[in-house]
Amino acid sequence: MEIIEKIKNNKLDDNLTEIQKICLHKLQSSPLPNPKSELWRLSNKSKLSTFLDYSVNGKDSKFDLPYPKTSQSNIRLIIGENCQIKLIEKNYSIQQLSEDELQKYIKEQISFFKHNENWGDLLNLSLSRKNDILGLKLNGSKIPPIEIFSHASSNSLKAKTLVIFLEKNCDVELLQVNLGKENSSLSQSTFFCLKENSSVNHGLVSYGENRSNLLNSLNVIQQKNSAYNLGSLHFKFNYARFEISIKQSAGNAKTNIKGMQITKKDEQISTYTKIEFNGPNGFLDQINKSLADDKSHAIFEGSIIVPKIAQKTDASQLSRNLLLSNLAQIDTKPQLEIIADDVKCKHGATISQLNEEELFYMRTRGITLTEASKLQLSSYFQEIISFIPISKDKWDLLDKLLNEN
Amino acid sequence: MVNENLVKDVVKEPYKYGFVTDIETEKIEKGLNEDIIKLISQKKEEPKFLLDFRLKAFKKWQKMKEPDWAALGYKKIDYQDIIYYSAPKQKEKISSLDEVDPKLLETFDKLGIPLTEQKKLTNVAVDAVFDSVSIATTFREELAEHGVIFCSISEAVKNHADLIEKYLGTVVPASDNYFAALNSAVFSDGSFVYIPKGVTCPMDLSSYFRINSGDSGQFERTLIIAEESSSVSYLEGCTAPMFDTNTLHAAVVELIALDDASIKYSTVQNWYAGDEQGIGGIFNFVTKRGKCLGKRSKISWSQVETGSAITWKYPSCLLLGEESVGEFYSVALTNNLQQADTGTKMIHIGPKTKSTIVSKGISAGNSKNSYRGLVKMGTKATGSRNYSQCDSMLIGNQASANTFPYIKSQQPNSEIEHEASTCRISEDQLFYLQSRGIEFEEAVSMMVSGFCRDVFNQLPMEFAAEADKLLALKLEGSVG
Repeated sequence: MEIIEKIKNNKLDDNLTEIQKICLHKLQSSPLPNPKSELWRLSNKSKLSTFLDYSVNGKDSKFDLPYPKTSQSNIRLIIGENCQIKLIEKNYSIQQLSEDELQKYIKEQISFFKHNENWGDLLNLSLSRKNDILGLKLNGSKIPPIEIFSHASSNSLKAKTLVIFLEKNCDVELLQVNLGKENSSLSQSTFFCLKENSSVNHGLVSYGENRSNLLNSLNVIQQKNSAYNLGSLHFKFNYARFEISIKQSAGNAKTNIKGMQITKKDEQISTYTKIEFNGPNGFLDQINKSLADDKSHAIFEGSIIVPKIAQKTDASQLSRNLLLSNLAQIDTKPQLEIIADDVKCKHGATISQLNEEELFYMRTRGITLTEASKLQLSSYFQEIISFIPISKDKWDLLDKLLNEN
Repeated sequence: MVNENLVKDVVKEPYKYGFVTDIETEKIEKGLNEDIIKLISQKKEEPKFLLDFRLKAFKKWQKMKEPDWAALGYKKIDYQDIIYYSAPKQKEKISSLDEVDPKLLETFDKLGIPLTEQKKLTNVAVDAVFDSVSIATTFREELAEHGVIFCSISEAVKNHADLIEKYLGTVVPASDNYFAALNSAVFSDGSFVYIPKGVTCPMDLSSYFRINSGDSGQFERTLIIAEESSSVSYLEGCTAPMFDTNTLHAAVVELIALDDASIKYSTVQNWYAGDEQGIGGIFNFVTKRGKCLGKRSKISWSQVETGSAITWKYPSCLLLGEESVGEFYSVALTNNLQQADTGTKMIHIGPKTKSTIVSKGISAGNSKNSYRGLVKMGTKATGSRNYSQCDSMLIGNQASANTFPYIKSQQPNSEIEHEASTCRISEDQLFYLQSRGIEFEEAVSMMVSGFCRDVFNQLPMEFAAEADKLLALKLEGSVG
C-alpha cells in the first residue's frame, strides 16, 4: 500500500491544492479506517488493500464509452477529460462552478466529515487533482439530460470528484456512469446540493470489469420541497463500496432510492446508507436489492435517523436479498433511530431464493428452468432498472445483467 | 393534540418494591482479586473444578475490555468498589422453612412470593434468592417424586457435581463476553433445574431474585437441563430496593434442551430503575443463552423488562438440532432516564430449524429503548426459517426508539423475514375510546396492553396477569 505510506509521510505530490492538504492532514495520523468500526467490520480487508495497491501516478488512457452517443440533445461530460461547459439558454443554464464556490463548498463539507464514515471522501479529496474535479451549477427547467462519466485506467488508482448545485426550481435528469477497467481502482465522490423546489432524477450505474475496484460515495443535501430520486446499480466489481449520505436539512423534502447490487465469483459489494431528517414532514421510500451468487458477499447497511425536530416524518426502508449459492453470503442491517414521536417509520428485510412455486408454474407451461429463472430475475431487476433515467432506451442494462454478467 | 402533561402524569408511578429489609448480613470486603474468588469458593465449600473454573474466568476477564457497542451511556463502573458476596446471617443448615429468618419470609411475603406453607397452594415451586444466597426452595419433595431436581446452584454443586461439571459453561463459556466472564468468576448463587428423560414437570418452576444491600452486586447463575422428551416452564422475577447508588447485576443463564425437549423461560424484570433524575437504579448486564442440542427441541424466551436503569440483555438460542425451534417474545418498557439495549440472537446451525422473534418496545419520558438482534443462517441450515417483528411505541417527544437488526445468511435454501415499525399512541384511537366514555388513563393503558398482546399471550397465566398489571401501573399512575 504505497499510497498509505505516501499519505503518512506527506509525500503525495508537490503541487497540492488547499483541499488536498486539508484532507491529507486529516488522514495522516490514521490513514486507514478502523476495521473494527461498525461501518468497516464486514469489509474485506485484503480487497481494500488491493484497492489501495494501484499506482496513483498512471496517466489516463483513451476512454471507451459504454454506448454511442445517439441523441444530439444529451450533454455528455467525462470527468478528467472534456470538462469545459457553459450553456446559457432561454429556459436554463449550465455553468461550471467557480474555483471559489467549489473550494468553499467542499471545505464546508469536510468540516462535517467523520473519519470512519467519510474515509472514502477524505481519500478521494486527497487524491483528486484540480482536473479531476467537476463542479456544475444548474439552473432552470427543461435542461437536456446530462450524462457524466468517470473511469480509472487499468493498473491505476484514480480519484474523481463531482459537485452539482441545483438552483431553486431547477429540475434535471442526470445519469452518472462509473466504469472500472481491468485491474483498476476508482474513487468517486459526488456531492449534490438541492436548493428549494428543485428536483433531480439521478441514475448511477457502476459497471466494472475483471478485478476492478470502486469506492463510491454520494453526499446529498436537500433543502425544503426538493425531490431527490436515485436509481443505482453496481455490478461486476471485485470490490465495491457505495456510501450514501442524505440530509434533508429542513425537512419537507422527498427522497426516493432504488438501488441494486449484484455479486458473482468472489466479489464483495456493499452499500451503506445514512438518511437524516433535520426538519418535519420528510419523506423517504427506499428499496435496496442484492443478489449474491458463487462465493460472493453482498452487504447492506441502512440507517434512518429521525431527531426530535423531524415530526411527521414518513420513512420506509426495505432490503430484499436473493442468495443463490451455498458459498455466497449476505449481510443486511436496516436500522431506525427515532426520537420524534409523531412519525411513521418502518423497515423490512428478507433473504430468500427464487420462488420455487413460480418456477414450477412456468415449467409446467413448457418454459425451461433456465428461461424461467431468467424471467424471475428480470422482474426482480426491472423494478430498479426502470427507475434509472436516460439509460432505458440506449443501454440495455437488463440484457447485460441477465446474459453477460 | 394529546395533552403532554397528562401523558407525563400517567407514566409516573412510584416503585413499590423499593423497601429495604433490615437484616443482619455477612459481607466480605469490597474489591475483586484472586483471594476474594478463593474466599467465595471456600465459603460455598466448592469442589476444586469449580474454583479452577472461577480463576480461569477471572484471568480471562482481566484481559477483556468492557463492551461499548451498545447504545447505552452510563458512568464507569468501578469493579473494585463492589462487594461480591453478601448473605443474610442464618443458622448453618435449614431443614424447614420454620428456620428461615421470619424477616426474610416477611420480605418475600411483601413481594407477593409464596414461600410459606399456607401460600404454597398456588402450584408454583419457588427458589428465592436474597442477595448472594438462596433462602429457600419450595415443593422440593413433590418435585423429587417425579425425578425433577430443583435447587439452588450451590446445593447442586454439592449434591450433583457431575451434572454441574458436565454442563456448566457449555452454553455460555467463561470467555464469552466481559460480563459473563465476571459472573463466571464470582457467581454466588442461582437456580439449578434438571428434568429427567420423558418427564413433563408437574408444576411451573420459579426463582425470585431480590437485591437487598446497596453496595453489593448480584451475580447469579442459572442452569436448566431438559433431558430427552421432557418439558418445563420456568419463571423468573426480580426486584430491588431504592438506593441512590447504582448496583451491578450480572447474571448468566444457560439452558440445554436435548431431543424433543422443551424449555419455556419467562422473565418479569422489575429491578429498581432509578428516580426521575436518573439517580440510582440497577445496572443489568445479563447473558442468557439456550442451546437446542437435540432434534425437535424447543427453547422459548419471553420477557417483560420494565425495571433497571441500564438493561443489556440478549436472550439467545443456538439451534443445533435438526428441526429445533427458538422463540423470543419481549416487551421492554423504559421511562424517565432508563436505557435499554435488548434483543436476541437466533443462530441457525442445524437443518430445518425455525425461529420467531416478536419484540415490542415502549419508550416514555427521556428514555432510550433499542432493539438489537442477530439472525444468522449457517451453511448447514438448509430449509430453515426466521420471522422477526419489532415494533416500537413512543410516548412523548423526548424518548428515543432504535432498531438494529443484524441479519446474515450463508444458506440459499433458507428464508429470513424481518419487519419493524414505529408508532405512537394514535390520537384517533384515543379520541374514539374517550368518546365511548373510557377515561384517558384507561384508554392509554388499554392501547399499550393491546400493543403488547402478542407477547402477553406467550406468558404463563400468572405472569401474564402480573405483566399486564405492571405495565398498567408504570403507565397509569395511581389512577385506575
